[in-house]
Order: sequence, then structure tokens, then C-alpha cells
Amino acid sequence: MTTRCENKSEDLNKENVKVSLPSKPQYVSIARMTSSVIANKIGFNIEDIEDIKVAVGEACNNAVIHGCEDSNFNVEFTISSDKVIIEVRDEGKGFEVDKCPCPDICNPKEGGLGIFIIKSLMDDVEVKSSPGKGTIIKMIKCLSEEDKAHN
Amino acid sequence: MSLNIKKAFENEKNLWDVELIGEVDIYTAGDLKQVLMGLLQEKEADIRLNCKELDYIDSTGLGVLIGILKRLKNIEKQIIIVNPKDNISKLLKITGLDKIFIME
Repeated sequence: MTTRCENKSEDLNKENVKVSLPSKPQYVSIARMTSSVIANKIGFNIEDIEDIKVAVGEACNNAVIHGCEDSNFNVEFTISSDKVIIEVRDEGKGFEVDKCPCPDICNPKEGGLGIFIIKSLMDDVEVKSSPGKGTIIKMIKCLSEEDKAHN
Repeated sequence: MSLNIKKAFENEKNLWDVELIGEVDIYTAGDLKQVLMGLLQEKEADIRLNCKELDYIDSTGLGVLIGILKRLKNIEKQIIIVNPKDNISKLLKITGLDKIFIME
């Protein structure tokens, strides 16, 4: 990460890591661990690494819960010097994003916290899902100015 | 990583002392649910979760705790969370769950 030429364009500096995992609960931890190793390499601080790990875990949970049991789900990391973009895709049933409510503390529910947690922890989140077509959760975490100075 | 659950009944305080070690995620949340439901079947009492060595919990784990709390509320009992790490405190705070569990 430190041997980058300054005259290279931003696009050339992007690197991709793709992980494909079976839609089963025991594989989600592999995606989480991968995300924390990548976040650490980019230079995120410990709290941000933890946020990224939790957000990736929640997106993968979503893929396993709503996804297609017999197929894999995919996690793609696009790594640049100042941010990471993570896309989690499944080929499952999909769900109606608009019907995903904010948590109501007076009436807490056992499910439905995942997307809310992702939105709270990441800088930018886009959820594309339609019934029958699967789901893509795209999330971005940017390096803080302080961490940029350390790199 | 996996989840290790240690449990004991504290007669003095009349509560279940449960120590969570490791990670509660989509893979291990079912085990946590089974253990906690088992405790309540044995004796209906407050549950104190010692989280000193709990490294990670996600929405599926929090969902289990919400389900157990709903059961406890019916009999006017509580879930008490002790010694959570910073990352877990943060998650409880953003979800507002720090207001429905007793935080110690």
C-alpha cells in the first residue's frame, strides 16, 4: 500500500477481492474475517474496522436468510487508498426494502435490525432488492482524515 | 470462532449468571437461544449476561435476547448486561437496546 506511484490515476489504484460462499450460516464468519483483514490493510482504525466487520456480517446474514439455499452468495471488496466499497449479492427471493422499518424501542422485534445497523455504521449504503431477483447491498466506508494522515 | 456459554444459578441474588465467551452470530445464535430457554424452563429468574469475553454479537444474537426479554417481561424479570466491550456497547446504543436491557 505504501509503494503507490503518485501519477497513477485513481482507477488504476483500485484492487478487487471477490469471495463466494455457500448460503449457510457457518460461512458468514469467513466474510467477516476477510473484511477486517482488508480494512486493516487499508489503514482504518480499530473502531472503523469493527464497524466494517459488523456491517459485512449483517449483509451476509441477510444473504443467508433471504438467499437461495442451494447457491452461493458473493462478497466483493473494491479497495482504494482512501475507502472500501463492499457489495454483497445473493440470488434469493429478495425483499421489499421499503417495508424494512426502523427499530421501535417500545415494541422491539426479534428480526429486522440488520439493515438498520448497516446504515448506522457505514458512510453510504444502497440496498437494491426486488422480490424474485435477489438482493445487492452496496456499502462504502471512507478513511477518516486522521487515518489518512497516518498512512 | 465459536461461542462458549457458562451458566450457574446464583441463589443469593436469585438470578442466572451466564457468561458468554466468543462470538454470537447467525451460526451460534440458535445455541444461545436454546441455552437461555432451557434456563427459564428450569427456573424463571432474571438473567445476568457477563459479556467481558464476548467479542462479537450481531442482529441475530440481539434478536435472541429480545425474544428472551419479551418472555421475561411477562413475569416481571429482566436481562442485565455486565461488562460489554466497546464494540458491543456501541451496537446496543445504536439499536436503542441499551434502554430495554439493564446495563451494569
